[in-house]
Amino acid sequence: MATAFRRKGSRVVGRMDVHERELVVSLLQQTRELLGGDDHAGTGDPLQDLLGSLGAEPLDPEEVAGRDPALQRLLPPASRDDERMAADFRAMTEGHLRQQKTATLATAIVALGGDPGAAPGADLEDRRGDTVELDLGQAQSLMRALTDVRLVLAERLELRTDEDSEQLHAMLEDAEDIEDPRMLLAAYYDFLTWLQESVTLAIMRR
Amino acid sequence: MSVAPPEQATPDVETDVRPQEQVVERLDRPWVTIVWNDPVNLMSYVSWVFQSYFGYGQDKAEELMLAVHREGRAVVSKGTREKMETDTEAMHGFSLWATFQKDD
Repeated sequence: MATAFRRKGSRVVGRMDVHERELVVSLLQQTRELLGGDDHAGTGDPLQDLLGSLGAEPLDPEEVAGRDPALQRLLPPASRDDERMAADFRAMTEGHLRQQKTATLATAIVALGGDPGAAPGADLEDRRGDTVELDLGQAQSLMRALTDVRLVLAERLELRTDEDSEQLHAMLEDAEDIEDPRMLLAAYYDFLTWLQESVTLAIMRR
Repeated sequence: MSVAPPEQATPDVETDVRPQEQVVERLDRPWVTIVWNDPVNLMSYVSWVFQSYFGYGQDKAEELMLAVHREGRAVVSKGTREKMETDTEAMHGFSLWATFQKDD
C-alpha cells in the first residue's frame, strides 16, 4: 500500500508497491501516447527544436476541433472568444508544449522505474521496501505529469464542475461494486488525486 | 478546483482576502493573463504554480488561487502582450487553463 510522500532534506520519499507503480506508469505512458509520444519528444538539440518550431504553419482548424476532448484539454485554446488569436498562438506554441509535456511524463515514468518507450502495462521490478525516492526535479515532474493524467481521466469521467468532483468522491465512499468500469476509473482518479496532493505538499515543505 | 481527500487536505487558508484587482492594478499595462477554474487542479498545486512561476508570496498565491476557485477565473498577471503570451504558454505547461486578452 502506498504511503504519503514526505520531504527528507532535498529529497521526496514515499512508498508505492509494484502494482501501484505499474498502474501509475501505465497511465503516464497512455497520456504520453495521447500527446504524440516519441513523435513530439524533440530531437534532443534545443537549437534545432527551436528552429523547427519557428515559422510553423497554422494547424488545420478542423483537425484541432475534431480532437479527442482529453487532448483538447491538455492543449487548450489561449482565447475563448478570439479564434484567430487562439489559432496564431497555437501555431507558435503547440509543438513546444507537446515536447515539454512528453518530456515531463517521460521523467516521471523513469522516476517510478518504468521505461517511456515500453508499451503501457509492462511489468516493473519489485523494489526492496517499496521505497520511491525522488530528487526535487523528479518530484516536480511527477507532480506535473499527474496533473495531465488526471485531466485525461476527468474527461473520461465527464467531470465538468467542482460539484462533479465532490460527487465522484462521495460515490466512491458508498461504492459496493468496484469492478464496474466507471467505478474503477473513478478509483484510479481518486488515488492519483491523493498521490499528487501528497507529492505537492512534500515539495512545498521547505 | 479539486479539494483533496480530508486526510491530505491543506490547512485552512486565510479567508479574509482583499479583491485581487487591488493588488495587481497597473493602468498603463493593457494586456492580462487569466486562469480559469477547473474541477481537476488541486488547490495546493495551483498555489505552488503561482508561487514558483510568478514568484508571488504564499499569501498572494493563495489569494489568487481562491479567486480562481470562487469566481471561476482570475487575472494572474498584467503586462505587455508578449509577456502575457509567455505567461499563458507557461500556465499551459503547468496544465492550468489560461487565456490572454486586452484588459477590459
